[in-house]
Amino acid sequence: MGLPGEGVLQGLAVTARTMTRRADTRQYPDVPPDLPPRSRGVIALREENCTVCMLCARECPDWCIYIESHKEEVAVPGAARPRQQNALDRFAIDFSLCMYCGICIEVCPFDALFWSPEFEYAEYDLRDLLHEQGRLGEWMATVPPPPAHDPRGEPAKEEAAARRPAPGAAGGGA
Amino acid sequence: MTSADWLLAALGTVAVAAGHRVVATDRLVRAGLHLVLCLGAVAGMYLVLTAEFLAWVQVLIYVGAVVVLLLFAVMLTRAPVGAAADLDRPGWTAPLVGGAAGLGLAALLVDAYRWTAVAPAAPGTPEALGAAVFRSWVLPFEVVSVLLLAALVGAIVVSRPGGRR
Amino acid sequence: MSLAELGLRVALVVVAFLTLPLVVGQAEHKVMAHMQGRLGPMYAGGFHGWAQLLADGVKFAQKEDLIPRGADGPVFRLAPAVALLPYLVVLLVIPLGPGDLVAQPLDAGLFFALAVLGVGVVSLLMAAWASANKYSLLGGLRGAAQLLGYELPLVLSAASVAMAAGTLSLPGIVAAWRPWWLLWQLPALLVFFTAALAEIRRPPFDMPIADSELVFGYLTEYTGLRFALFLLAEYVGIVVVAALTTVLFLGGWKGPFADASLGWLWTLLKVFAVSFAVIWLRVATPRLREDQLQRLCWQALVPVALGQLVLTAAVVTAT
Ligand code: SF4
Ligand code: SF4
Repeated sequence: MGLPGEGVLQGLAVTARTMTRRADTRQYPDVPPDLPPRSRGVIALREENCTVCMLCARECPDWCIYIESHKEEVAVPGAARPRQQNALDRFAIDFSLCMYCGICIEVCPFDALFWSPEFEYAEYDLRDLLHEQGRLGEWMATVPPPPAHDPRGEPAKEEAAARRPAPGAAGGGA
Repeated sequence: MTSADWLLAALGTVAVAAGHRVVATDRLVRAGLHLVLCLGAVAGMYLVLTAEFLAWVQVLIYVGAVVVLLLFAVMLTRAPVGAAADLDRPGWTAPLVGGAAGLGLAALLVDAYRWTAVAPAAPGTPEALGAAVFRSWVLPFEVVSVLLLAALVGAIVVSRPGGRR
Repeated sequence: MSLAELGLRVALVVVAFLTLPLVVGQAEHKVMAHMQGRLGPMYAGGFHGWAQLLADGVKFAQKEDLIPRGADGPVFRLAPAVALLPYLVVLLVIPLGPGDLVAQPLDAGLFFALAVLGVGVVSLLMAAWASANKYSLLGGLRGAAQLLGYELPLVLSAASVAMAAGTLSLPGIVAAWRPWWLLWQLPALLVFFTAALAEIRRPPFDMPIADSELVFGYLTEYTGLRFALFLLAEYVGIVVVAALTTVLFLGGWKGPFADASLGWLWTLLKVFAVSFAVIWLRVATPRLREDQLQRLCWQALVPVALGQLVLTAAVVTAT
């Protein structure tokens, strides 16, 4: 406890000092914001990569990914029988439910889902936030290139595995 | 009648009407608000009678403090917005007593002066009032302040918790 | 003073009554924003949002005029007018410059101003009770307790200056004022300013409208134009309090030079400086709790004001 009124004086000093500095405000619609490199704006879909494995839809905590597909027969020249392949009919994410946890992007084994920093997709009606693959695909253009590897970081697992000499090549082995 | 007379009469009417509403309304808080109006009109009458300082004292003390305290107490205890059903009114005795007292006083006043004209007093400026209170009337003034002090001490004694009841 | 001249003076006061609060309000928007590292309004009117308050006014005028079903209609409707009127009347007696630059010089101007300011409480109680809302009522009770308490140091500290000047007339007080009074009457100045802040219920004394606990206190049920009138009353209150502080303690129209011709400018500058302090205090201090509020009044302000009164009396009788 200091003198009575000391706190008030301190507050006055702080506010006065703040007033002499420039404000940090960015006038958003006029000045676009600087977004951090990994900001989570919206989820973009690269349709060609999707194999309809359904992992994302199943892992999504609130089940807001809708996938529909059918089987197609692909005749492979030289094969005995035609192969079966999944073809995507519909891929939609309901952004009124999505909580931007990123699990779908993490689990996708085929690099079909990406974070895009795009955030200006507000709608007047909640139901209009259900976006189909067309819209999700458009957002692919806004996905930034992946950040460069940390030159001093640990190598990726795959890299390490590739470097390891094949079993049996250099002796040892079982 | 001069314009001052007319003004006096008008303000008097307002004061009396507001005073009537104070006792006749069955909404507690509105009674207090009518009291504000009544006291304000009385202050206006002082003003017309050139007792300027007294008028401001009336506004400061009565409107600004006493009535507000009154309203405060009413709101703190009970203040239905609508009519209060449990107000007790002594039926016809109250108008009778009040009317008789008022009319009697008025008659006395009229009888005392008849048609003698009284010279208007000097304007009630702060100087004049101060001189009157602190020169000719110092003793009553001091006695009143002692009385107020006694009331204050009494109030503290009465409201002290744990005291004798 | 002829009738036409009186009309002109009253008209000028009304103009001041309508423009000065807007200036103060806009200043509050911008100053508060910059003190908090923001920009404040930037779009309305083009240049740094200068027309924000006009836009607000238009918005308020468009809003639906709601009166709660349980409310006491006439009292509810009357309260904003009762809140505004005292301030308008007080502005009439505040001298802007030396000589005749006052709408209506009064012999007991100081007393008149204090008396009329006291009437403002009634509007608060009216609004609080007529809303038929428990938050409003609580706000009103807090407000009444606060205003009754703070009226005492306000009047006492003003009395100290009146005693020093030997007059109750506001121009007379300014005429008697000397720069060294700033030092001698400093405690009275601080007490008066603090008590006046509490009288107009500005933060940190905004217990009656404490929005985080009482919704909006006695203003909870008000919308649209009536609410705008209450807001206007708050800003006129700032102007009136700043003007009274200026006239009583800061020497009114007395400036470093050219008092006679530039007096009005000095007065206005001082009024704006005090208004700035009011805004600044709002930004810098948190709201006082009810018990702190009463303790500050009765244990700090009233004794200091009484001490100042004794000091003033001693000096005045000694010289
Ligand atoms: S981010 Fe999370 S919630 Fe949103 S779609 Fe992907 S898994 Fe579902
Ligand atoms: S996890 Fe990837 S590949 Fe599998 S369905 Fe989802 S988006 Fe398509």
